[in-house]
Amino acid sequence: MRHTGFTVHDGLLLAQGLGVSLGLFAGTFALGLVLGSAAAVVRHFRVPALGAALHAGLELLRNSPVLVQLFLVFFGIPALIHQPLTPVVAAGVTLSANTAAFVYFIAVAGLDAVGRDQVEAARVYGFSRAQLVRHILAPQAAAFALGPLVGLAVNQLQVTSLVSVIGVMDLTKAGDILNLRTLRPFAVWTMVGALYFAAAKGLTLLGHHWERRLRAHAPPLGF
Amino acid sequence: MIAVEGVVKRFGTQTVLDGVSLTVAPGEVVTILGSSGSGKSTLIRCINGLERLDGGRITVDGLDVANPRQLAQARRLSATVFQLFNLYPHMTVLRNVTLAPEVVLKRPEPEVAAEARALLASVGLADKADAYPAQLSGGQRQRVGICRALAMNPRYLLLDEVTSALDPEMTAEVLAILGRLASQGTTMLFVTHEVEFARRISTRIVFLDQGRLIVDLPTADFFDPARGLAHPRINQFLSKMTPVGERP
Repeated sequence: MRHTGFTVHDGLLLAQGLGVSLGLFAGTFALGLVLGSAAAVVRHFRVPALGAALHAGLELLRNSPVLVQLFLVFFGIPALIHQPLTPVVAAGVTLSANTAAFVYFIAVAGLDAVGRDQVEAARVYGFSRAQLVRHILAPQAAAFALGPLVGLAVNQLQVTSLVSVIGVMDLTKAGDILNLRTLRPFAVWTMVGALYFAAAKGLTLLGHHWERRLRAHAPPLGF
Repeated sequence: MIAVEGVVKRFGTQTVLDGVSLTVAPGEVVTILGSSGSGKSTLIRCINGLERLDGGRITVDGLDVANPRQLAQARRLSATVFQLFNLYPHMTVLRNVTLAPEVVLKRPEPEVAAEARALLASVGLADKADAYPAQLSGGQRQRVGICRALAMNPRYLLLDEVTSALDPEMTAEVLAILGRLASQGTTMLFVTHEVEFARRISTRIVFLDQGRLIVDLPTADFFDPARGLAHPRINQFLSKMTPVGERP
């Protein structure tokens, strides 16, 4: 006999799915943040060949659908290297690289927004490039970029739902399983949607909190 | 000694500095006069390595600024004060002053902070240590700019039109401090339009015209009608300035 009612285990299934989604998001967003920012610094200092190559690669990533990138990594790369990839690895690689592409363009804009005059001051006072980035460029670029980055984070959290297609047991996949068993799509997808909403809302609130702290730290943010 | 030898600098097809030679020996206050666009600021930017030379050579105590490694050394010997202050807006006044001594000279934080507070007090900004640059007036910002330069204990102070963005009252504030530094024997290369002030504090005055250094004379000789003032271009330039005796 087919059991179509909701049970306590369904809650566990959704919670587990949410955990996978959040974990995947947090890991790939952190990695994307590091990679994208590093690429932006490379481009900012006009490192000859590397800067142009990174720019071209990241532009490709930004201007193609994540689902296509996901299929390319999950199906395409194993065919090329004759080595299977697990869904989680494929999802991690794809989302990190995709996030890096968007972070790159935000970080480039943030770095460009830091006044040239202060950069010149730091240079004549003898700062090395690394010291310039750490003390002058990064703090101010981060302040400029924080708003756009929070927006990006909310979007990338939703984008993780695509990985269910290649079989990662995330929140969407959990919803899918639940839906197939209960045959109550409206209730199931409302619940799943509400969980994504709650996570995204929490992220936004966290972002606003950081923004406020940043403003408190440097009151007249008129730079 | 800062030695500028036959320096040429071009922006595109325009020659901004055309064979400029000049020396600044320790203890001297050398003022560069000249109309806007004559290349004064560019010369300062060549000395502190912000512009690449198209010809000639600049050395600071023998260190060639065209060589990246020597430039890094040379930059520790001189400190620049900028026309538009160029403070770090995300840092407090105190941090603006202590950052380079700590990060570049690797000096211990407590010692640097104590010195910075003393410097700020000496320019009347003791109570502004924890303010941000945007909360200060232009004159106050430039005084912070001077403290930031002095905190490096530089052998040479490069001053690039440091009062050009200030109103007369704020200009007076800043000039008073520079006058005191000059009387204490600080070596300065001073780009300015404040002719009367330059006359009071300079040991030598040089005049730049369209990228060429046309006169380099001790201050008294520069204002001598038979010497510097005999030069038609200088006479013309000075006659457009505020009459003698009306400025602080």
